[in-house]
Amino acid sequence: MEDNREQEMPDLLDLQEFDEEALKKESEEVLQMRFLTGENALFSRTEGGFLALKTGDREYERVGVYLTFPLTQPEEFISIREADEKAKEIGIIRDLKDLKKEEQEMIREQVRLRYFMPVIRKVLDVKDEYGYAYWHVVTDYGNCRFTTHMGGDAVISLSDVRYQITDIDGNRYEIPDLYALSVLERKKLDLFI
Amino acid sequence: MKLPSGLVKCLERQGVEEKGIIFAAMGDLDEEFRFADTVVALTNKKLIIAKYPYREKKEIHLGGYNSWSLEEKETGEPAVLLYDLERVEQLEVLRQVSTGVLMGKIDGTERYLCQFSNTKMEAFMRLNRLLEKIKKKEEITGEDLDVKRGKECCPKCGMIYPDQERKVCPKCMDKKSILLRVVGYFKPYKLKLFVMVCCYIATAGLNLVWPYLSGTVLYDKVLAGNEEFLAMLHLPAGRFAVALAALVVVMVLTKILMQAVGILQGVLTAQIASEVIAKLKSQVFESMGRLSISFFTKRQTGGLMTRVSDDADEVSSFFIDGIPYFFINVGTILATCTIMFLLNPLLALGSVVLMPILFFISYRMLPRLWHYFGKRHRANRKLNGQMNENFTGARVVKAFGQEEQEMTRFTRNNTRVRDAELDVARFDCQFSTLYYLVEDLLTFLVWAVGSALIICGTNMELGLLITFSGYVGQLKWPLEFMSRIFRWYTNAMNSAQRMFEIIDAVPEVKEVPEPVRPERLKGDIELKHVTFGYEPNKPILKDVSFRVKAGEVLGIVGRSGAGKSTLVNLISRLYDTNEGEVLVDGVNVRQYGFRELRKNVAMVSQETYIFAGTVAENIAYARPDASREEIVRAAIQASAHDFICKMPQGYDTILGPANRALSGGEKQRISIARAILADPKILILDEATSAVDTETELAIQKSLEQLEKGRTVLSIAHRLSTLRNATHLIVLDDGRVTEAGTHAELMEKKGTFYKLSQLQTKALAMRGVE
Repeated sequence: MEDNREQEMPDLLDLQEFDEEALKKESEEVLQMRFLTGENALFSRTEGGFLALKTGDREYERVGVYLTFPLTQPEEFISIREADEKAKEIGIIRDLKDLKKEEQEMIREQVRLRYFMPVIRKVLDVKDEYGYAYWHVVTDYGNCRFTTHMGGDAVISLSDVRYQITDIDGNRYEIPDLYALSVLERKKLDLFI
Repeated sequence: MKLPSGLVKCLERQGVEEKGIIFAAMGDLDEEFRFADTVVALTNKKLIIAKYPYREKKEIHLGGYNSWSLEEKETGEPAVLLYDLERVEQLEVLRQVSTGVLMGKIDGTERYLCQFSNTKMEAFMRLNRLLEKIKKKEEITGEDLDVKRGKECCPKCGMIYPDQERKVCPKCMDKKSILLRVVGYFKPYKLKLFVMVCCYIATAGLNLVWPYLSGTVLYDKVLAGNEEFLAMLHLPAGRFAVALAALVVVMVLTKILMQAVGILQGVLTAQIASEVIAKLKSQVFESMGRLSISFFTKRQTGGLMTRVSDDADEVSSFFIDGIPYFFINVGTILATCTIMFLLNPLLALGSVVLMPILFFISYRMLPRLWHYFGKRHRANRKLNGQMNENFTGARVVKAFGQEEQEMTRFTRNNTRVRDAELDVARFDCQFSTLYYLVEDLLTFLVWAVGSALIICGTNMELGLLITFSGYVGQLKWPLEFMSRIFRWYTNAMNSAQRMFEIIDAVPEVKEVPEPVRPERLKGDIELKHVTFGYEPNKPILKDVSFRVKAGEVLGIVGRSGAGKSTLVNLISRLYDTNEGEVLVDGVNVRQYGFRELRKNVAMVSQETYIFAGTVAENIAYARPDASREEIVRAAIQASAHDFICKMPQGYDTILGPANRALSGGEKQRISIARAILADPKILILDEATSAVDTETELAIQKSLEQLEKGRTVLSIAHRLSTLRNATHLIVLDDGRVTEAGTHAELMEKKGTFYKLSQLQTKALAMRGVE
């Protein structure tokens, strides 16, 4: 399949001769916004548990799903990208509803895979010592302990009430509504907020 | 790692022995994004994936809690999959935003094997590398198996050590030792401290005497005509005027003494405090200088500045004012109460009965008041931040006509400040009203009980009542102090901890105990399989290898973010590699002394930095002993001489934030002159001419060509014309070297370099046409 693709759409870097036309075409392609809809795109699950895409005359064995507005609008403007390190954009889904029901589910699965983030429901304890904060919280996945740096970007506010926490390994947690927590819990977060 | 015995048994049934297992990693998420365990293990022949069924866990341990162990009783049987390694073409970790997915290419199909949180990332990366090694039949060393690197935990409580080098767990550490350590700073001032303590005691004593003189002695002895009192003073009977005069003199003397002691104490405090503060500050600053560059990039500069200045003040003031006053106040309270009870137990009881309430009020309410103060502070900071942003970005705001939107934003922030201010005022009022109300009640109570006692004709007298009210008034301040001292203590200890953290911090990049100190380096550079990233698990450079012989010029090309600047930072050892090594003259850079290495490597980077000082001082930054002639020559070679001459004060012009501002190109030329004067064997030019115009660039190019003679040069540039004279070039893409060779070879290859160079020529030609 790999070979197939290269014949159809030659990669510039491997060109034998410098081709101005191809270059122009590429830069135009880069500048265009391509929308994927139920008509021009067909998503499917692969045998190995990943997501494949067929669009136009091209097939992708595995694609990546990137949200462009992961916090404010996770169901719109979803960027579908190639699976390799460069992750070139294949197209954008303007609204997830443009796709068929089962395809929507496939995309959502991939989104969950990529943007996994436990939600903090309860703050049991936060202790700060020596530049580290040791958290003990209840998430929607259960009781959880983790460590963050003090200060810096460990706790960032996404809006007036919404906060995101990143621990020292890069795991992320979310507090969707600060005021859903009790006064006592909020007091424990005073150091960060 | 120890595998759970259930799994071992299960594997044995399938013909895999435990000792054959080379490495195992544990994934912690299942397909449905629940926390469930999957063990992935490697033997020489097989890849093992053992999935445990999901079960609810008591506690999930993420970031910082590294160890893994399965509780055998609850796990149940895992579902085990075995793959012969011949079938496994490749393992790959697919990075998600905060998790990773292990993908295996098995029998030609890419398969999802398991998912794990970032905490487990390191182990899975290792698993991949091991598989590659097994496939290539390379030897596996202990280092390959060591996942715990850089993440050790306290054996007592399981928290990671904040400082891996020190292996001190803050939770299990003795807090007293911090206190004692700070006390150590005051040791040189023993004598002064002793005098100070005497002053405190004297003050407290005099404070006890004063109400007695102004109350009991004045009213009950002198004014009431107490003959016994005169007899005691050996004065003739009836001479109360003399007694009064004597009393006045004593009272005046007492006041004067109190003031004198106060002054002495103030002077001593100022002396000791400022010396200790200065010492702490310079120690913190000194160790900051020692620390690696990563220390500064990880933390906010503002936060660091607070540490240097505020923390030292906090600690010192607590030790000067807090601790002594604590003892004095405890003493005062005890002594006052004792005296009061001795003088009149009933009245004393009336005086102290409300005191606990007073203490309780301030103990409970003050923290909330501080909370509101903090809120006000943050609101103010936000407002100031916005103003700062707007004034610096005024051009953009105006250009897009967004004054109104900014005004709205300002109003919002301003309202927040106002609300916070109101909160503070409201609560402050509540607090003070309540506090003073109880305080007044207390005074009334003393007067009421006292007056009742006088009327009832017990042995109570007016003077005693006045003395009592004086004592009660004196108790208020120590009580308030006691309610604050706990918080003060915690804050001071926190500050001390923070400072000691810096003072004791071990730099990530360290000199080896006995470094190589060559007089002069030749300038051979070689990178062998270098992998490096600023954050764990996010490599910027991947397996980079190349070699530059002494005297050669290496051009480095690549799009922004490809890792070019990161690469050159490794050579002067601003950072250490994660894997692989950087060799200079065949010796790993880690072996060199910092001074020798950095004297031989000079860098002109895209970020230029001008220190406060004259132009000449800035050029001579690396060699302060340079002569005027050398400075001017360096400036001429960097094409900086002309513009410097045109400045009214020439080379004596003082540069710096408040003084003459230089343009980007001028700054760059000064930093080039700085590098020329440093005369290094290895010169790194990181976009050194990006901010100057084409004409000046040509001039600088020429001087750089001069400069490049006899040196090894690594030159990074976007404009390929800058790299004309490079001996050879490498192209970096996404942290890997994708192309390498001479200019001609790369053009021949018709790869990225060829494409870039064609593009730039075309772009230039097009501009020429217009």
